Amino acid sequence: MSSISGPVVVLLTVLQWAGRGLPSPVRPICDPRVLDRFIMEARETETALRGCKAGCGVTGTFVVPLTNVDLVVWETKDTGEQALEVQSGMSLFGQVLSAVRESVSRVAVQILIDNNKSNIHSLGQVLRSLHIQDLSLPPAPAVGDSVTRKVSSLSELLHVHTNFLRGKVRLLLTNAPACQQNST
Amino acid sequence: MTNDNLNKLLVFCVLFCAQKTSIVHGVQALETKVALLLHVEPENPKCFAEGTSDLTCFWEEDEERAGSADQYSFIYTYQNENSSKCAVTALPAAGGKRLYFCRLSQTQLFVPLDIRVFRDNLLIHNRSLFIEVVFLLDPPANLTLTSTETQGQLKASWLPPSLKYMGDSMMYEVSYTMAGSHIGKVEEVQASSELILRGLQLGTKYKVRIRVKLDGISYSGYWSAWTDPVLMETMSGDLDPLIVSLSLVISLVLTLLSLIVLMSHRRFLLKKIWPIIPTPESKFQGLFKVYGGDFQVWLGHSTGGLWLRPAYFYSKEFPAPLEVLSEVSLGPALPSSALPPKASEALGEEEDEDKKLKRVETPQEHWLMDHGEDCEFDNSMW
Repeated sequence: MSSISGPVVVLLTVLQWAGRGLPSPVRPICDPRVLDRFIMEARETETALRGCKAGCGVTGTFVVPLTNVDLVVWETKDTGEQALEVQSGMSLFGQVLSAVRESVSRVAVQILIDNNKSNIHSLGQVLRSLHIQDLSLPPAPAVGDSVTRKVSSLSELLHVHTNFLRGKVRLLLTNAPACQQNST
Repeated sequence: MTNDNLNKLLVFCVLFCAQKTSIVHGVQALETKVALLLHVEPENPKCFAEGTSDLTCFWEEDEERAGSADQYSFIYTYQNENSSKCAVTALPAAGGKRLYFCRLSQTQLFVPLDIRVFRDNLLIHNRSLFIEVVFLLDPPANLTLTSTETQGQLKASWLPPSLKYMGDSMMYEVSYTMAGSHIGKVEEVQASSELILRGLQLGTKYKVRIRVKLDGISYSGYWSAWTDPVLMETMSGDLDPLIVSLSLVISLVLTLLSLIVLMSHRRFLLKKIWPIIPTPESKFQGLFKVYGGDFQVWLGHSTGGLWLRPAYFYSKEFPAPLEVLSEVSLGPALPSSALPPKASEALGEEEDEDKKLKRVETPQEHWLMDHGEDCEFDNSMW
């Protein structure tokens, strides 16, 4: 964990700087450990919520993006399509978590949800730093679209969220052109 | 046969042999992976992914239960999708057992996959897994050992498995041990293709091997098989010639400095180490050379008067020169009118005694008086 906290501090500093609206471009954030930290926190949240009785007091169904990745098909998509898929999914998670946050009464669960919401916001900033087309609030996919499905518990929601981060988000960040330029 | 036909035949043979070698190597690799998973994976069917788009599942049946491959059905279902069927093949295994395989050549990651195996329409195995967490990679290739400039170190480098998107997710375990020994050390390194082994013994042959696994954050799986070991001897403890020559020069300079210091203080050191034992020979002429150290004989040849005064010789201390002079009475008597009556009477008695005791001064007595100052020294000598 201590090896991951360093780049997170760098990320937060950069995000603060970017948040002030300074004109100079933000340096691309390509360190994979940044996303690794978000993935591990989502996984910890999923584990914590799995032990929650009565679904942590949250009922109902939630629309979440699909997480499956066929790498052969994924590679046929250009960066824009991949980014659209990722940002749509992140937007959907953000909306669902906000809705869930209002119906949760336990403070510990609220803190966990707030943390994941914050990570989603930070991830948006990371995508912006990679010069990926900013679709900060793309239209959320409707239920019934081929890219969404329903879940019925908070732990399953976080499980899907973890898989989404491990899969599509990571693939997009790993192969971002800005990071490929930095590495060469 | 013409030359063209011969050439074609030769090319065909080469390709066939290469393919055969590749097939043999592939079969050996599969056998290794199957054996590995039989050992570490308790669930059935046992599944592993070798690349980004494949999945191999297998299970083992005892000889009694084993049937033909046609009796088995392998049904797999991705979440929110329809079921699909995979063709089953059978291979013989050790101990009369049989292995049944199913291989998928196109897969989806980051989504649950349900697997059901039927034998004669009877469900025998049921499992749900994520394909991206069951990777079983080939061992790293081209493991190479090289010496570094520092003694007691070796540098291990290797070629990572060529898996797209997963280069920074790979972790390696490097095992190194002295050749012939069973006790070794293991070091882990993440997302790297080299490692420096430190703290090794000099002039010793080491055996190094390595294996790979995905780090478990986005991708995970099983440790690969170990590579074939590579041996290399570390640099011996021979000293650098420059260091040796410098050490010799410094030693020589220090030695010369020590000799100079010793020579300049040799008298002082000799006195301390080998002090001169003082001898009374110079003070007693002829005592040792003529009389063999016999002091009585030496005295007897000088004067007998001194024998009347045995206390003089046997007392611990010789009288001071002042005392000797008062006994010999060299000066004139003092006038009696100057003293009180009792004192003058005592003095008169003393003068009478002096007259009785007055005698001729002998050369030895004169010598004694002359050397009275040396009595302390001589006394201490005796």
